Amino acid sequence: MSAPAKFGTVMGRSSTLLLLIVPLVAAGVAINALGSPLVINIYTFLCVNVVLVLGLQMFMGNSGILNWTYVGFVGIGAFAASIMSTDASLKAMGVPNMYPFLAKIQLPVIPSLIIGGLVAAAVAAIIAWPLMRLSNAVGVIVLFATLIVMHVIMNQWDNVTNGPRTFFGVQAYTTLWVALAAAVLAILAAHFFRESALGLRLRASRDDRFAAAAIGVSVVQARYLSFVLSAFVGGVGGGVWAHFITSFSPKSFYIAEAFLLLTMLVIGGQGSISGAVLGTTLVTLLREGLRQVETSLGSSGLVGDVFGLTEVALAILLIIILISRPDGIVGGQELRWPLWKRRKAIEEEGA
Amino acid sequence: MLTVTDLHASYGAITALRGISLDVKEGELIALLGANGAGKSTTLKSITGVHRQVKGAIVLSGGSIANKTPEAIVKKGISLVPEGRDIFGGLTVEENLRLGAYTCYDRTTYRDDLQEMFTLFPILEQRRRQAGGLLSGGEQQQLAIARALMSHPRLLLLDEPSLGLSPTMVDQIFLLINSLHESGITILLVEQNAERALEIVDRAYLLTNGSITFAGTPKSLRSQVDIADVYFGGDEATKSEVAL
Amino acid sequence: MEFVINTISLGSLYALLALGLVFVYGILKLVNFAYGEYVMVGGYALFVMGSMQGVPWWITAIIAVAMAALVSYLTELTAFRPVRTRSLSALFVTSFAVSMLLQNLALILVSPRAKAVQFPPLFNQTVSMFGAVTPMRNLLIIGTAAVLLTGLSLLMKYSVIGIAMRAAAEKFTTTRLMGVPANLMISIAFIISGFLAGVVAIFWVSRSASVDPLTGAAPLLVAFIATVVGGMFSLVGAVAGGFIYGLLFNVLSVFLPASLINYRDAFMFVIVILFLLFKPEGLIRGNYTEERVG
Repeated sequence: MSAPAKFGTVMGRSSTLLLLIVPLVAAGVAINALGSPLVINIYTFLCVNVVLVLGLQMFMGNSGILNWTYVGFVGIGAFAASIMSTDASLKAMGVPNMYPFLAKIQLPVIPSLIIGGLVAAAVAAIIAWPLMRLSNAVGVIVLFATLIVMHVIMNQWDNVTNGPRTFFGVQAYTTLWVALAAAVLAILAAHFFRESALGLRLRASRDDRFAAAAIGVSVVQARYLSFVLSAFVGGVGGGVWAHFITSFSPKSFYIAEAFLLLTMLVIGGQGSISGAVLGTTLVTLLREGLRQVETSLGSSGLVGDVFGLTEVALAILLIIILISRPDGIVGGQELRWPLWKRRKAIEEEGA
Repeated sequence: MLTVTDLHASYGAITALRGISLDVKEGELIALLGANGAGKSTTLKSITGVHRQVKGAIVLSGGSIANKTPEAIVKKGISLVPEGRDIFGGLTVEENLRLGAYTCYDRTTYRDDLQEMFTLFPILEQRRRQAGGLLSGGEQQQLAIARALMSHPRLLLLDEPSLGLSPTMVDQIFLLINSLHESGITILLVEQNAERALEIVDRAYLLTNGSITFAGTPKSLRSQVDIADVYFGGDEATKSEVAL
Repeated sequence: MEFVINTISLGSLYALLALGLVFVYGILKLVNFAYGEYVMVGGYALFVMGSMQGVPWWITAIIAVAMAALVSYLTELTAFRPVRTRSLSALFVTSFAVSMLLQNLALILVSPRAKAVQFPPLFNQTVSMFGAVTPMRNLLIIGTAAVLLTGLSLLMKYSVIGIAMRAAAEKFTTTRLMGVPANLMISIAFIISGFLAGVVAIFWVSRSASVDPLTGAAPLLVAFIATVVGGMFSLVGAVAGGFIYGLLFNVLSVFLPASLINYRDAFMFVIVILFLLFKPEGLIRGNYTEERVG
């Protein structure tokens, strides 16, 4: 292959990364310099969401399986990281029943985040193997039930989580730059996973389970490894989120949040990272916008409390997307540069 | 009665039918032959509305039925005996037949229709309250045909009726098809078993890789086409391999 | 003895719940997350009608059931049908979206706070039989369930619609080739599903005499679990699953030590999950098939 052609191929493949990362970083720099605290806050929140959604995308987008439990792993990571990084005295005050050995530990934030991811991955590793063998309907229900179990445990285990009450006092470590860095790392991780041998095996099993098995892909193994990996990313993301919001409770890792992450992923397009990022951006901005509308409506006295308007709008949007473009706005193929070459790539892959 | 003109059908990017044309006149027994994967099932699926992304014309007695839903097409008098019997295993024999009569159910004539089927297929009467899944292959095939006949079809489509049956059953089935033909029902028979089909049909079409490669009487087909071609899709390499 | 009556009445409730879910699953292979919300709608209908003066309670009950069935039908028409023709796998997500939509609509249109629902005194009157004392509503649910289950099984077994629906659950396309309209069968399945949800709503809400936007969550879960325990794949299995789940619930309620009682739900699910892992087809094999992956 000639040098220019080779360059073109390499550029083509990594163009997705550039297309996503460059605008994100540029926006970050611009907002940091010019934006109001509110905008900075929204942007940081956006980056955190990107991390969370990409973790979900890694498993769900490539396997096609709706993963209810993901938000539970985010919670596990959030709690684990927060317990590790929070000051001992704050813990003693906030979570009176905490196990002493946990209360005493305090580590810097970065290791805590990683530990958060590892704990989530460990739990995933233990419970996931049998789950991956289940077929569609039963699998969806069991994953849902598993989320409930996780939630009940988080809600009741007040030696660790402070039960249903708020866990507070987490350091506000997640600044714009931290979130941005995490988002970039997540994009890289998701991309390389998708293109890796494991990612390819997973996608093969999604597209045709029996054909994949016929060529020697162990579907269960591929799913299992991806599930654990996805849980790791989710756990780290949970930790990043925890250090952004600084106080939270098990309520934040349940059905409504699962819905939110799902919406971000599906609207953009679960099959691709570009879709996940785009969807996250869209939904985050939409939510913030609607939030403003809700509060101004509420305070104007015209209508009563309109909580729930955001969720209604999102649900309707999701249904519309599912009816008109079930693969999401971006669809199953990544964005590439030049953008029009994507058409060609889609046709090629479709044949 | 049925005229198919320049029919194209694809599954995504895979083209199954590349512009085929055939016709079935009233009272005829026509065979559609071809090897596995030639497109025979796709043709039937297109005619019955199971596959609804086709280009070209499918006309039944003057009215177009291309890309219409199965429910609508069946109401116009076409009945399909699907490949692999496809009877409802969880329903009894009688319930299967009752469903077959769905489009033309008439309380006054239903009992008689049912009895007619039982006379034609005595084994079904014996097993009338048994679940379809418990019947043998040959019995299921009879049930599938009886079920299709319950709606008094003008055009009967048979998709590989002899597939997977014992030689005795195959004989019986072809005898049955012949007698149905003689009683005046128009029949389009899709078969891999070219030999047996050619013995009883008026005319035949040969489908190869999505195109009609022959159309005419059994006699002229036998003289022009090597029957082995029909089985192996005209592939020289396979033929010579087998010949060795 | 009280335990027995309690369990039978709980089991009856759960059985109806599971049945409603399986009706839709059988035909569409869809696990309908919005099912719990049909129960919620029934509950809110009871509230709204109940707050109107001078409406006899039995009319309220009928309207509640009708509303649940109507909403079920409408969700099929507006959300599930268009998505179904596009992508089968998107149906799951759609049902989740519909569920969220309905919950939040209740939140906005009525109130996020629970609303009290009136019930006729008959419900809570206690009756003494066979040496046990039990509220009337327990007997009512048993009676209602008996009537409905009998009626539905007669319908499914002897009417042509029942035959068609059983056939459709087994082989959808072939049923269409018999001339049975696909949309009709699916709509009927949803209406029956909503109807059952509505009936369940009456008794479910009567236990707490209040309704809120999240009322649908617990019934949904029960329906899910009872269905998979009994076997996703047959109506009989759903009923059996409902009864067994009710039994399990009561047994755990009695035998779990007080310190762990809050974990009862978790225990139940773990038991069920373990059961499923060993026997994914559930208790009763039905006619539908579903394969395991590995």
